[in-house]
Amino acid sequence: MTATSKAEVREPELGRLQVLLYRLGVPLLAVITALALGALAMWASGSDPLVAYKGLLDGSFLKTRAFGETLVASTPYLLLALGVGFGFKCGLFNIGVEGQYYIGQILAVWVAINVKGLPLYVHLPLVILAGMLGGAIWAGIPGFLKVRFGAHEVITTMMLNYVSFNLCDYLVGLKGPMRDPRASVPQSRPILASAQLPRLNELPALMANPLARIVVALLVGLVLYLLFRLVTRYGFKGRLSKLNAGIVAAVSLALAAGAWLLLGNLASFGGAFVDKGSRLHIGFLIALAMSVFMWWLLYKTTFGFEIRTVGANRDAAGYAGINITRNVVMAMAISGSLAGMAGAIEIIGLDRVLKSFFSAGYGFDSIAIALLANSHPLGSIVSALLFGALRNGADLMELRSGVSKQMISVVQALILMFVAAPAVISWLYRIKAPRGEKAASVTSGWGK
Amino acid sequence: MPLALEARGITKRFPGVLANDKVDFQLEQGEIHALLGENGAGKTTLMNILYGLYKADEGEILVDGKPITMTDPKDAIRHGIGMVHQHFMLVPVMTVAENVMLGDETPTPRSAWMGPLSHLNVKAVEEKIRELSTRYGLAVDPTEYVQTLPVGVQQRVEIIKVLYRDARILILDEPTAVLTPQEAQDMFKIMQSLVDQGVSIIFITHKLKEVLAIADRITVMRAGRVVGSTTPAQATEAQLAAMMVGREVILEVKKGEAQPGAEILKVENLSVIDDRKHKAVRGVSFAVSAGEVLGVAGVQGNGQTELVEAITGLRKAESGHIHLGDTDLVNHAPRWVFEHGTAHVPEDRQKHGLVLSYSVRDNLTLVSYYQPPFSKGGVLEEDFIAANAAKLIKEFDIRTPSAQTAVSTLSGGNQQKVIVARELNRPVKLLVAAQPTRGLDVGSIEFIHHRIIEQRDAGCAVLLASAELDEILSLSDRVAVMYKGEILDILPIKEATRERVGLLMAGVQEQR
Repeated sequence: MTATSKAEVREPELGRLQVLLYRLGVPLLAVITALALGALAMWASGSDPLVAYKGLLDGSFLKTRAFGETLVASTPYLLLALGVGFGFKCGLFNIGVEGQYYIGQILAVWVAINVKGLPLYVHLPLVILAGMLGGAIWAGIPGFLKVRFGAHEVITTMMLNYVSFNLCDYLVGLKGPMRDPRASVPQSRPILASAQLPRLNELPALMANPLARIVVALLVGLVLYLLFRLVTRYGFKGRLSKLNAGIVAAVSLALAAGAWLLLGNLASFGGAFVDKGSRLHIGFLIALAMSVFMWWLLYKTTFGFEIRTVGANRDAAGYAGINITRNVVMAMAISGSLAGMAGAIEIIGLDRVLKSFFSAGYGFDSIAIALLANSHPLGSIVSALLFGALRNGADLMELRSGVSKQMISVVQALILMFVAAPAVISWLYRIKAPRGEKAASVTSGWGK
Repeated sequence: MPLALEARGITKRFPGVLANDKVDFQLEQGEIHALLGENGAGKTTLMNILYGLYKADEGEILVDGKPITMTDPKDAIRHGIGMVHQHFMLVPVMTVAENVMLGDETPTPRSAWMGPLSHLNVKAVEEKIRELSTRYGLAVDPTEYVQTLPVGVQQRVEIIKVLYRDARILILDEPTAVLTPQEAQDMFKIMQSLVDQGVSIIFITHKLKEVLAIADRITVMRAGRVVGSTTPAQATEAQLAAMMVGREVILEVKKGEAQPGAEILKVENLSVIDDRKHKAVRGVSFAVSAGEVLGVAGVQGNGQTELVEAITGLRKAESGHIHLGDTDLVNHAPRWVFEHGTAHVPEDRQKHGLVLSYSVRDNLTLVSYYQPPFSKGGVLEEDFIAANAAKLIKEFDIRTPSAQTAVSTLSGGNQQKVIVARELNRPVKLLVAAQPTRGLDVGSIEFIHHRIIEQRDAGCAVLLASAELDEILSLSDRVAVMYKGEILDILPIKEATRERVGLLMAGVQEQR
């Protein structure tokens, strides 16, 4: 064997570490650089960047309720970014998550108002499913148009955005079918109590009902069980995979019993559980669970393998016998269903009433979030938290330092720019891209 | 002879690879110096250093005896070094003259003061191209559009581009890879006339016959090092191959008499339409039996691609039948065809055969990921997939740092081994291999040929489509020659002489 092959044998561990460092390092440096440039802009315009960033930090994490509000803002960000990222993984640019988000809200609210007489633990999932269905249909249409007629999804999803915005306006507008006749502003009737996503401060009261407590405790147990299974199967290089599934189930059941006890005494934990002003709802937990689920779906299942293959090389996917048409439509539908879920959770957790269209700008921010995370479902958690914090802290930053909160948009735009052009970061910090590591190419054309 | 170019002690490291290890290379004035080596031997790295694309970690470069430093190709051109890449860098919708002046646009003297708005001095450029063209026998019309030119002429345009910039040292990277045998002969004439006029040429290739035919001196590289220099008079093909690979190489494929069994593949009256809606395959009929190799010869673009794609399900057939045993394959999806015992080594390995951004491991499961034991209940069985990859990497000698390495970083030969390993990793009745060794090095070609014959001897029917006549003649038991979408004749290997097949490839059908 020659010197080269010896080097090749020695290298892999280091090589993989390098790749990992590069993948994590570039987004991190992008964020730091963007914040530094933002500071420079503040300083140049006569404000003190330190005061501004302290305000940002206080407003997003340190002040009372700040962290809770950051989580509230991060929840739709995370779900939407999961949706956008899933599309990216299949080579699709679903730019219309904002529209799918509104359709999700419309359908969720309709079900939340008109399906009566169900208990919370049936009605709530139903409402969320309705939101997902709405988003799935709204994104599935462009997916179908793409595979059937070659219409590019960027155009069609964007156009459907406007349809959904105006549909929302019509439904709750003057003489609209969903409008609350007693309300003075254009909005729907409030949703039923059984469809309200519980806020943490509502949980102690809800858990007074023993049935609800048992259902929730079992749910907690189930989630923990699945988490254990995931960790034992994929963590620790599979060393624990031989662990008896029965033991895991028993431990989970025990934990579920423990959860049952704890749930009864939530009020004694204080914090957001008793804070009447807190808007923190359990949506963030759902979003977290969805991130883990999407990660598993993308990287550990044959379905995810197909989606990624179609995204990475459509010709090779065809050669490998993967049904491209079906995967493209499915990827769009799933991407849209996550957006619809974001809309549903947002509206049943916060406003609890459908208002006429006012863009919260979540949809377009989430594209940046997905890009920052390189479309990775777990990475999206971190980048969604970052964007949620920036959004949430902006007000206090403006109040304290006089820096316009639009500066946050500038910082976000800079982050996106550096992530989209990693060569800038590599050049700035003299980092070399490892071999085989290319700039993120997000989508590919259809056609030949 | 004085030295035109000299590289001393060039070392270049990439993460994980020592691409050039203290390489010394000398190019004399007015010689054709062949640089021979397998893919990944470090030829291209060395040339990219000489052309200023990479910077060497150690060592120095001398032009006409004087040390030079280069930071980019512009410096190289300033020192008279020009490179013609394997993949052309021409703008198809521009004329030859426009392409040649691209990046070096000269204004007419009268309008030069206008800066970016000045007139292009196309006339002067065309004049210079004509002059170069006649001087070196290049026969290129500067007013023609590049997209209308055949590949061989496009390559000459690339050479003119370099000569136009007064290059005295020419680096030709696998210039014959895209040429027909006739065009390659023309290319050699041009190279000779360039050398006669004092140009020095570095000729990168891995085709041994060409080296012996045209080179004045030969330098062989292996694993980043120069393993030796020789001349065509002193060397034989076998010696060169042994130097390249580092061991004895059997250039002739050893195989016994075919033992044809039952008929496996039967194609009847098959017609296929290509992407441009032309009829690419016109009523073709043939059969392949178990235990034999049917070679499909023909100049590229005579319907072989479409024929293979129709058989493997990648393209719809317009009419006709394809029988695999008792099943009718025609117009079934690729997966269905796979599942009925077909293996397919596709013509374009980077487009169809591999997902370049995926790891070796994932590429080895690309077609069977959905079947147990690769997955159960829709969940990938990572342990089995990893074990399968480890087994195949060993069995097929795939040179990769690890199973997790992205397949894009492997050499062409190892990429092809990944495909072959994957396709032969299941019981197959029919192996369809299209251009299985295109662009590969001697060692990999030997390996893949060996595997194909092994499959034949194991009772598999093999359909081999190749544009390399040598490959067809050394592997096939019968040779079908395609011309303009039709099979002109099918010859037993004993009757398939190079001349006879060559005539058929050109569409000349003899009277029986």
